[in-house]
Amino acid sequence: MVREEIAVATGAPRWKCVESRIDSKRLYYSRFILSPLMKGQADMIGIAMRRALLGEIEGTCITRVKSEKVPHEFSTIVGIEESVHEIVMNLKEIVLRSNLYGTLDASICIRGPRYVTAQDIILPPSVEIVDATQHIANLTERVDLCIKLQIERDRGYSMKTPHNDEDGSYPIDAIFMPVRNANHSVHSYGNGNEKQEILFIEIWTNGSLTPKEALYEASRNLIDLFIPFLHAEEREIHLEDNANGVPLALFTFHDEFAITNIRKNKKKMALKSIFIDQSELPSKTYNCLKKSNIHTLLDLLNNSQEDLLKIEHFCMEDVKRILDILQKHFGFDLPKNGK
Amino acid sequence: MLRNRNEGMSTIPEFSQIQFEGFCRFIDWGLAEELHKFPKIEDTDQEIEFQLFVETYQLAEPLIKERDAVYESLTYSSELYVPAGLIWKPGKDMQEQTVFIGNIPLMSSLGIFIVNGIYRIVINQILQSPGIYYRSELDHNGIFIYTGTIISDWGGRSELEIDRKARIWARVSRKQKISILVSSSAMGSNLREILENVRYPEIFLSFLNERDKKKIGSRENAILEFYQQFACVGGDPVFSESLCRELQKKFFQQRCELGRIGRRNMNRRLNLDIPQNNTFLLPRDVLAAADHLIGMKFGMGTLDDMNHLKNKRIRSVADLLQDQFGLALVRLENVVRGTICGAIRHKLIPTPQNLVTSTPLTTTYESFFGLHPLSQVLDRTNPLTQIVHGRKSSYLGPGGLTGRTASFRIRDIHTSHYGRICPIDTSEGINVGLIGSLAIHARVGPWGSIKTPFYEISERSKRLQLVYLSPSVDEYHMVAAGNSLALNRGIQEEQAVPARYRQEFLTIAWEQIHLRSIFPFQYFSMGASLIPFIEHNDANRALMSSNMQRQAVPLSRSEKCIVGTGLERQAALDSGVSAISEREGKVIYTNTDKIILSGNGDTITIPLVMYQRSNKNTCMHQKTQVSRGKCIKKGQILANGAATVGGELALGKNVLVAYMPWEGYNFEDAVLISERLVYEDIYTSFHIRKYEIQTHVTSQGPERITKEIPHLETHLLRNLDRNGIVMLGSWVETGDILVGKLTPQTAKESSYAPEDRLLRAILGIQVSTSKETCLKLPIGGRGRVIDVRWIQKKGGSSYNPETIRVYISQKREMKVGDKVAGRHGNKGIISKILPRQDMPYLQDGTPVDMVFNPLGVPSRMNVGQIFECSLGLAGDFLGRHYRVAPFDERYEQEASRKLVFSELYEASKQTANPWVFEPEYPGKSRIFDGRTGDPFDQPVLIGKSYILKLIHQVDDKIHGRSSGHYALVTQQPLRGRAKQGGQRVGEMEVWALEGFGVAHILQEMLTYKSDHIRSRQEVLGTTIVGGTIANPGDAPESFRLLVRELRSLALELNHFLLSEKDFQIHRKEA
Repeated sequence: MVREEIAVATGAPRWKCVESRIDSKRLYYSRFILSPLMKGQADMIGIAMRRALLGEIEGTCITRVKSEKVPHEFSTIVGIEESVHEIVMNLKEIVLRSNLYGTLDASICIRGPRYVTAQDIILPPSVEIVDATQHIANLTERVDLCIKLQIERDRGYSMKTPHNDEDGSYPIDAIFMPVRNANHSVHSYGNGNEKQEILFIEIWTNGSLTPKEALYEASRNLIDLFIPFLHAEEREIHLEDNANGVPLALFTFHDEFAITNIRKNKKKMALKSIFIDQSELPSKTYNCLKKSNIHTLLDLLNNSQEDLLKIEHFCMEDVKRILDILQKHFGFDLPKNGK
Repeated sequence: MLRNRNEGMSTIPEFSQIQFEGFCRFIDWGLAEELHKFPKIEDTDQEIEFQLFVETYQLAEPLIKERDAVYESLTYSSELYVPAGLIWKPGKDMQEQTVFIGNIPLMSSLGIFIVNGIYRIVINQILQSPGIYYRSELDHNGIFIYTGTIISDWGGRSELEIDRKARIWARVSRKQKISILVSSSAMGSNLREILENVRYPEIFLSFLNERDKKKIGSRENAILEFYQQFACVGGDPVFSESLCRELQKKFFQQRCELGRIGRRNMNRRLNLDIPQNNTFLLPRDVLAAADHLIGMKFGMGTLDDMNHLKNKRIRSVADLLQDQFGLALVRLENVVRGTICGAIRHKLIPTPQNLVTSTPLTTTYESFFGLHPLSQVLDRTNPLTQIVHGRKSSYLGPGGLTGRTASFRIRDIHTSHYGRICPIDTSEGINVGLIGSLAIHARVGPWGSIKTPFYEISERSKRLQLVYLSPSVDEYHMVAAGNSLALNRGIQEEQAVPARYRQEFLTIAWEQIHLRSIFPFQYFSMGASLIPFIEHNDANRALMSSNMQRQAVPLSRSEKCIVGTGLERQAALDSGVSAISEREGKVIYTNTDKIILSGNGDTITIPLVMYQRSNKNTCMHQKTQVSRGKCIKKGQILANGAATVGGELALGKNVLVAYMPWEGYNFEDAVLISERLVYEDIYTSFHIRKYEIQTHVTSQGPERITKEIPHLETHLLRNLDRNGIVMLGSWVETGDILVGKLTPQTAKESSYAPEDRLLRAILGIQVSTSKETCLKLPIGGRGRVIDVRWIQKKGGSSYNPETIRVYISQKREMKVGDKVAGRHGNKGIISKILPRQDMPYLQDGTPVDMVFNPLGVPSRMNVGQIFECSLGLAGDFLGRHYRVAPFDERYEQEASRKLVFSELYEASKQTANPWVFEPEYPGKSRIFDGRTGDPFDQPVLIGKSYILKLIHQVDDKIHGRSSGHYALVTQQPLRGRAKQGGQRVGEMEVWALEGFGVAHILQEMLTYKSDHIRSRQEVLGTTIVGGTIANPGDAPESFRLLVRELRSLALELNHFLLSEKDFQIHRKEA
């Protein structure tokens, strides 16, 4: 069936969803194909997509809880079957769907006896519950369960160590990974040099977004990552100290002028790689220099004698000693006063 | 077992039964036996007589429950009351009162004692059974000499020896030996009696010379001679009563008391019929022993195997407690005797109640449980640890061996161990083979022997009879091994089966078989029988596994193993960690901390364990399994404890593993894991630590607990409440104050630094009269305060010492440096945690969770892990759990492999995943690199293994020191993490530094950083001021210590400087 379609498909690669099913509210599965692709392309796209799907997709999670009456997460509340820790673990697993930025607040305010499920979370309008039946707690008596929640959107996972905040809230470890699993496989057809490939991508998500959306999101993330390459090269990123304004021209070696410049630069680089640790300074002077962010000889040469004297606890003798050392070992001198 | 339908079901005995039976023996008749030994006490004028009426002693029901005893740090014990009578001889009138003798600690049904709030267990000791043992040794001339060793009840040894001239000697001490004639006459028989009672009098006569004749002429002479040799004293001792008494005490009581077991063994070995109550060595015994020895010399009779289990006996809780009870009664007797005398002297009229105090018994038991090496703190890392601990058997302890001196022979496995002591489960290291573990079916018999069950195969009865046999019996039967193929076939007639007979392994026709073993697990201990496919593992690795399963940390969410052995259920059940309903009823209330059942008209409350700390800092917690309104049967599980799921032991997690190298990150048993195990809390565990502080009274007054601590940052004090104790529920980090405490101190002006004094003078600060001695959270500690307990003990007159305990719970995810292990002795350290997209992935895209090194398998020979891994994968796909009994090869050849492959094949077919079973490389699969998407060169073994997280975690071990305390004498840095110690630069490290020629580093190590007091103080100053650090001039402190130690041996070591100019000698202080 697939093959027939492929036979038709020529020219620019196209994608299609060949299989899609919803196993449960929190398990979506789809299979996509992308074809036709040239030899080797399918693998390239496939692995990039897989890694982007697994690592780059954002999700929404509850990241913080706060409850007035509960002293700590190892305590119990009378009338609730679960311990506080179990409730927190249940909250951690709740799947949310949103496209918010920053953090939002939500809350649960329920009076028992009843089962508390994800449905009972009072959410801000931009956030939805995916599976309303997800269990949170079981109130067996007429007790109030009031929890304030904080919702965040992020990617990867976060494990924060709690601190004693004034408001008595504590963080939950959050897993913002909506894609449960992703897989790709490559099918090649054709003969000789005309080999062409089909890429199959399988995606399982947790329901907070459909596999199709995940695919879209992953591609967009990948594109975002590649966009910088489409712009012009930024030339002066690394050479912060190019006084003459000559770039480190890598592709113009035949140019004589460039070569001398490279030599100069090389010397500067050399100075940059000599640390003041190597110049046998007395430890007090050394510490003072280090404190004022002078680590290499280059840093030192950029300062005048006057500048050095401005450093805290620095006296004339120290400057003299530095001058001596510079003279003796490197043949340099420091300018008397600033530029 | 399938063969006969009439056969009764045999179940494995409860694992704590051995302990509990022992304790019951003590309560049932050990107690009475010792009480009966209590004599009537008379005063010196024989006017008053004190006696106990032991027939009607009473043990009161304990006043507190076990749980309360733990919480309140009390002893779970029962009070012993005995009626006592005081008879006035002249008037013949008697005063009777019930007296309180003392507290006897009680054992809970799990075999555990609670002493001062600590769970304790008394482990069984294996001792050489008292009796006589014959051995032969080659002497230096290459001639056999035969010796008979008589071992007394207390472990004392004396030897009889026959040399090549057929002279018989008694060896009483290591060096000295005396003629048997002398020793017998010292024991009270004369020559005529000797000659009449022996079988070969001519031999005795042949070595009787004139000197001996004189010595044995009278008993006094013989005793003198005996004493001389025994005590190794020269000169001419004079016969006296005191000498006799000393000999009596030192020799006859220690070396000749056989006890009941010894008397029985002696009678059996020497064919004597001396009555059982004659527990001492008699001259008749010695003569009979000598007779046997002569027999040995002429090739009659058999030698003994000291290591055979029939020659060992178990000293269980019963015996140990009984001994202690006897000791306490002797002490009580002395006390009573003293009080009676005192009362008479002061003309007071005593009553039984003020004669008897409870102190002797209570203190005896207190010191026994606290100090005796066999009474140990119950190891409660996980449920398995608890039950295994009570089933240990030790050769160590009083009257036993020591780890350093025990021979190889005794540590080795003996054929008589079969079904009694596990051949696998023993500790590693110095005590290897000395601390064993009882096999699961083993029982302790009445004479301290270990019994194991067999099926008796008899022609007459159709039923197979279950018989428990002691080691001396089953040796003489042909025992078919339980793992033979033939047992499960219909026709046994022409079958030849492997069997054991007299310590040999033979192949015997079926009809000659007397007994067969009942169960393949019969040989193994609890720990070893939880290893699936144990028959494919090398014994050394199985040993490691059974030890490591005991170190597994209970995880926050446990999971049953996919591949197990079927004993998980009983292990969990017998450990007592899960709550089990004791009767049927209906659940009327459930909460996190209790379950209320109603049945038969009354309600019972079952309290649940909530986040309790075990003594290994793991977290014990019970979770309700039943919901309200359900009807419960007797024995149903109400709540799962730590590391149990559905009533089965669940120590680890089933994770997807691959055996492949990965960028060297699994070199040398390191393990690579996926981040999934971290963020999904797969291996997250809770650890609860206890921190404790006490207030004392000092000479300046009592210490105070307060929030007002001067000179401390408010940041550190932020968690304290107004009493100065940390608030419940606060999050604390290293260095935070848990309890603020001030110790009063006299303000001495001189104790302050000069600048301090100046400041004080300027600002007019009051001299503080106290020093802070707060409880600070030590390094590595962080977490949530979950409990604070303030215990006030009723102390002396005005002041009550207080103890404050703070419990802090810590959540620990898996980390680089944690130790993980499988159940086959395959252990490793986490070396790297990779994001899930970087892990190798299977053909369906699933990333692997753990990557093990394949080189960890061949040299270790633990192939069981491969079987488990593949079968686990099949079980995961099929949703099945397998319980594989060991030695399934008895059903057919290569049964394990066939099982695994057929299951894999089925899994592959059912789930339409052809890669699960590929016939070219069954069990292996082509997998892909998550970073590049390329398939790896070779197919890789993948599967689901049950992996445990062990208690050895980096958080407890990581340690560094920049400065800290020094040892008082050597002035070198202290040792150990707990004391913030340094890392020793030992001699080999010094060689390395010397080899590199790094003289300055070496000097630094040996002076500034170690024991050169002056220069290490100067270093601090010069680094602050800035300047060059002066070289240490003189010798460091440990050298000075050496010089002084030499001086104390009268050796003077000195240091002189000879001037070159004027040859003046300058003495330097060394």
